[in-house]
Amino acid sequence: MAEDPKKGDAVGSGVGDREGEEEQVVNPWEVTAKDGGKIDYDKLIEKFGCQRLEESLVRRVERLTGHPAHVFLRRGVFFAHRDFNEILDVYERGEKFYLYTGRGPSSEALHLGHLVPFMFTKYLQDAFKVPLVIQLTDDEKCMWKNLTVEESKRLASENAKDIIACGFDITRTFIFSDFNYVGGAFYENMVKVAKCVTFNKVVGIFGFTNEDHIGKISFPPVQAVPSFPSSFPHLFSGKDNLRCLIPCAIDQDPYFRMTRDVAPRIGYQKPALIESSFFPALQGESGKMSASDPNSAIYVTDSSKDIKNKVNRYAFSGGQDSIENHRKYGANLEVDIPVKYLGFFLEDDAELDHIRKEYGAGRMLTGEVKKRLVEVLSELVERHQRARAAVTDEMVDAFMAVRPLPHMFS
Amino acid sequence: MVEEPTKAGFAGGGDRKGEDEQVVNPWEVTAKDGGKIDYDKLIEKFGCQRLDESLVRRVERLTGRPAHVFLRRGVFFAHRDFNEILDVYERGEKFFLYTGRGPSSEALHLGHLVPFMFTKYLQDAFKVPLVIQLTDDEKCMWKNLTVEESKRLARENAKDIIACGFDITRTFVFSDFSYVGGAFYENMVKVAKCVTFNKVVGIFGFTNEDHIGKISFPPVQAVPSFPSSFPHLFSGKDNLRCLIPCAIDQDPYFRMTRDVAPRIGYQKPALIESSFFPALQGETGKMSASDPNSAIYVTDSSKDIKNKVNRYAFSGGQDSIENHRKYGANLEVDIPVKYLGFFLEDDAELDHIKKEYGAGRMLTGEVKKCLVEVLSELVERHRKARALVTDEVVDAFMAVRPLPQMFG
Repeated sequence: MAEDPKKGDAVGSGVGDREGEEEQVVNPWEVTAKDGGKIDYDKLIEKFGCQRLEESLVRRVERLTGHPAHVFLRRGVFFAHRDFNEILDVYERGEKFYLYTGRGPSSEALHLGHLVPFMFTKYLQDAFKVPLVIQLTDDEKCMWKNLTVEESKRLASENAKDIIACGFDITRTFIFSDFNYVGGAFYENMVKVAKCVTFNKVVGIFGFTNEDHIGKISFPPVQAVPSFPSSFPHLFSGKDNLRCLIPCAIDQDPYFRMTRDVAPRIGYQKPALIESSFFPALQGESGKMSASDPNSAIYVTDSSKDIKNKVNRYAFSGGQDSIENHRKYGANLEVDIPVKYLGFFLEDDAELDHIRKEYGAGRMLTGEVKKRLVEVLSELVERHQRARAAVTDEMVDAFMAVRPLPHMFS
Repeated sequence: MVEEPTKAGFAGGGDRKGEDEQVVNPWEVTAKDGGKIDYDKLIEKFGCQRLDESLVRRVERLTGRPAHVFLRRGVFFAHRDFNEILDVYERGEKFFLYTGRGPSSEALHLGHLVPFMFTKYLQDAFKVPLVIQLTDDEKCMWKNLTVEESKRLARENAKDIIACGFDITRTFVFSDFSYVGGAFYENMVKVAKCVTFNKVVGIFGFTNEDHIGKISFPPVQAVPSFPSSFPHLFSGKDNLRCLIPCAIDQDPYFRMTRDVAPRIGYQKPALIESSFFPALQGETGKMSASDPNSAIYVTDSSKDIKNKVNRYAFSGGQDSIENHRKYGANLEVDIPVKYLGFFLEDDAELDHIKKEYGAGRMLTGEVKKCLVEVLSELVERHRKARALVTDEVVDAFMAVRPLPQMFG
């Protein structure tokens, strides 16, 4: 299996490549399709050197867990992986693994795309009954977004509430922010990783330059080391061979490509990955979700009225420009945002298939599809808001307390 | 006062090594053409200040005691803002001391003790707190030691450092692997944001082939200059000034720190800097852990000391007694006299030796005998003190605890 990106193409689609014109750019700080079009995921998988997540793996997950697969697996939202089959082998043998995911707390406003990895991780935790560490990279945001330390820490705490509201099991979940947790064994692992990665290497992987400050250059090991159980002595002491599975969006792949390259050199296991495609902006695949454009996404703080308004007015429609044409040609499902969003959030496979069939044939109109979407999203957002309202500062402290988790594998 | 080094031939590691330009940075000290370090040029290049007599007198006046032998003899010969520290002290305000060591081997030699002996004096004379950093992470990264070995060396070195006689009620010793985190890490990030890769290339000579551990290290040595890095000690004292006694090869770290400090709302640390301790074989020699005869180690027996001084200490005496009586010794290159300059407390006795030896009336053997006595006593005293430093004592110095008497 090719671990590294292909040499012939621009390595790892780092920022060092020509931006967005001849080559798509996918890295943790930039996602730009070629010529303002759509992201080519086949090319991305080939470039990055990861694997397609085949149907057979999805079936295997269902068999092993005795649950239907999460909608994100069924619909191919999580579509790529590295060594996920090995994690399933481990599990099948009765051994354990742990989950690791995270967020860079750059603003208070989370949108639905931000929730995707957390919703999926909760499913994985429940289905496999394994522990989970969640990293809030407040140091990263302090460095990239030029926030003060205090503001970064505050955002981390606020984001933690939305994350907790996704329903993680407190007896199996450790949430930490870098500013609070870096030190001790975690810092030792940062140093071990840093010794194995040259400046040239991070230039190639992440596109750093000589003008970048050394904070950025030193950051990648911080996101790498939660992959190693020894970074969490209060949780995994004596379990140095515990495997790690990282659910994340595919733009995070560079961090873990680097981590997988380093791991054997420092005597550690490589983490496995399960990766999602990008959540499209309301205005369409070629649009950019942006915190500065509130109409580019549905936020977890939106009211039902906001949701209805945004979907009706801004959700890009693949429907035809007139009812006559629509009845004749049907909707273009490739570009229709409401159908794509339903693909993420409408649980019922049969209903989704029905909508796609009818809408694609022109028998269902855009208005109906949008109406259904508004219902689905309003329910989801409402449920989230209720859950979030119940998350107190004390609960955040409890999830973030450095404590053993004695029932984490039960 | 020129803060920055003069641009021509800046002595970073990126310069041609040792041929056209002397090289002085934390990982390399090489004189030009295999000669001696030119300290005047170094001060000019680095942009620090000569520590003149008047400052030494001022220290004696303010502290009410004779200045340390290292001050009297010009071992500590350069500074940045030391006069401001004395102003602060004179106003009745406080400051704290910060020094450190990269624990790269168990074997400390006398040169390693110099900054610690001087720092102890400063602590006693000014009655101020002190933080001592053991950069075990740095050594792990540069010397390719394991994390475990670096941590072990840090603890072993801590014993020698504690044996120098620091006041436990005013001293916090820490190793990076144990202490990095919290407010210290926050300050590392604040500093790192202010220093580009280009800048560290210029200051330290890093290259694109270096690993990112090295590139990320400088902030680690910078931030103990800031009181907010030690919330258990200096909470609420954000304006507390810092004085850093160190060898002048450490200047680049603190030049960088002083450049960054105002940009993140912190005070610039002051520095008081020493020249390099010469190798036994002479100024042009290199002290090296792989050559045990290049230095006197704190683990040497009196027999070792006598042997090393007699056989390896470079002598400025003439090649025959006749010539020696005629021309006298060359004090410029004589190692025993230089070593006595560091360790013989009695000014009158040192002057007498220099006069008599320089005139040829005293022979090399006598000078070396005197040196052997002085060094044996020093090393013996150190060894006795070190034997008393148990792991518990190390734990006590390294415990993260407030120091309520630190200014008392």
